[in-house]
Amino acid sequence: MIHALRAGAYGIPFMPVGGMWGSDLVALRPEFFQVMKSPFGDEEVVCVKALVPDYAILHVQEADVYGNARILGPSYQDALMARAAKKVILTTERIVGTYRMQEEPKLTAIPHFLVEAVVELPGGAKHGICYPEYLTVDWDAHKAYQKAVKADEVPQFAAKMLEGRL
Amino acid sequence: MEYGKDYGKAEMMAVAIIREIQDGDIVFHGLASSTPMVAMKAAKALGKDFTYVTLSDGVDHDWQNPPKVASTLTANTYEGSVATFGLDEIFDLYASGKGDIAFLSCLQMDKSGRIAMSVLGGKDYDHPKLRGPGGAGSATLTPVTKRTIIWKTQHDTRTFVPHVQFATTAPAVDKPFTVITPLCIFRKPVGEKLLKLDSIFPYTTVDEVKANTGWEIEETDVTVLDPPTEAELKALKKVDPNGILYYEFK
Repeated sequence: MIHALRAGAYGIPFMPVGGMWGSDLVALRPEFFQVMKSPFGDEEVVCVKALVPDYAILHVQEADVYGNARILGPSYQDALMARAAKKVILTTERIVGTYRMQEEPKLTAIPHFLVEAVVELPGGAKHGICYPEYLTVDWDAHKAYQKAVKADEVPQFAAKMLEGRL
Repeated sequence: MEYGKDYGKAEMMAVAIIREIQDGDIVFHGLASSTPMVAMKAAKALGKDFTYVTLSDGVDHDWQNPPKVASTLTANTYEGSVATFGLDEIFDLYASGKGDIAFLSCLQMDKSGRIAMSVLGGKDYDHPKLRGPGGAGSATLTPVTKRTIIWKTQHDTRTFVPHVQFATTAPAVDKPFTVITPLCIFRKPVGEKLLKLDSIFPYTTVDEVKANTGWEIEETDVTVLDPPTEAELKALKKVDPNGILYYEFK
């Protein structure tokens, strides 16, 4: 998945991957995995097809109104997803002034020109984790969510959650 | 050496995991891996000199942060880190041959070390009885990791089966491959294709291992591993005041 997103971000049709040998996934999904010989030698490599998501929806701790975003905890593959997607929607714990970015530009994980929209949404990663704002999964809420998914009642669940009725 | 008396399968497995780590190693484990997480912190507490990279971007986080939940995606494997190194960077590190150990798990395994992580049972891949947590990470890491080590807290014939139908990944012939269970350690030697019973834990027998394994075990005379030492048990208690090690053994 990471390599597929990389290919998407790099604007190339596919990407060789280190590893993947011995996996039945390769033969099962020829539309996603192919084996090819290196053009420079005899080695064979597994390749994955580029992935270009229509949208990446990412939750961050801080963003300014232009979409410059700082990720204050683990950043996972969020910056890569932002570069691979056609459009990016940010949800943020809080809107901060652009001066925050100017103080330490290196801490801006996603620059504004990749971002389509910014939504101020404190608690937006709940019932999951958003370091260092909330540090543990709310398992009761998670179970309620799973139940809502099975019952096809996600909008009702979301309304309850937003209204603090969960 | 002073051996501990008050220990069970959880402690023995954690200690077996700790003993696999050599000074200078770079070590990684997957998601929802409470057993290796507690073992890694204890290995640090015992003074083993290795690098511990985690899914939450942390590099050599402060091992004194006690785990509060079994998840390996929380602040306790991030706070006090000396650097951040993302999962994409970890995959690259291992693919370029610089990663020493990956502790991974499985739903099922057969004697060739073929691992089911993606699906179990059912008609085919698209209609399984059980869809697993993924496992593309295992597929990427297993062929390129110097020493892949599988940890599995159940040892029974439902887990260790004669033949895995859909293998998410399989060991590389040119690399060692180790399996640690609550009863024993299996190893696939370099250049070979099949797992061999390497050693058993002090509280079990070869017959018990055989009875709980779905493939034929030819080895009869195997090493009995040393029980945990007092120091190892003390380290496990010290790093894990909330008893997260026991989560997988309930």
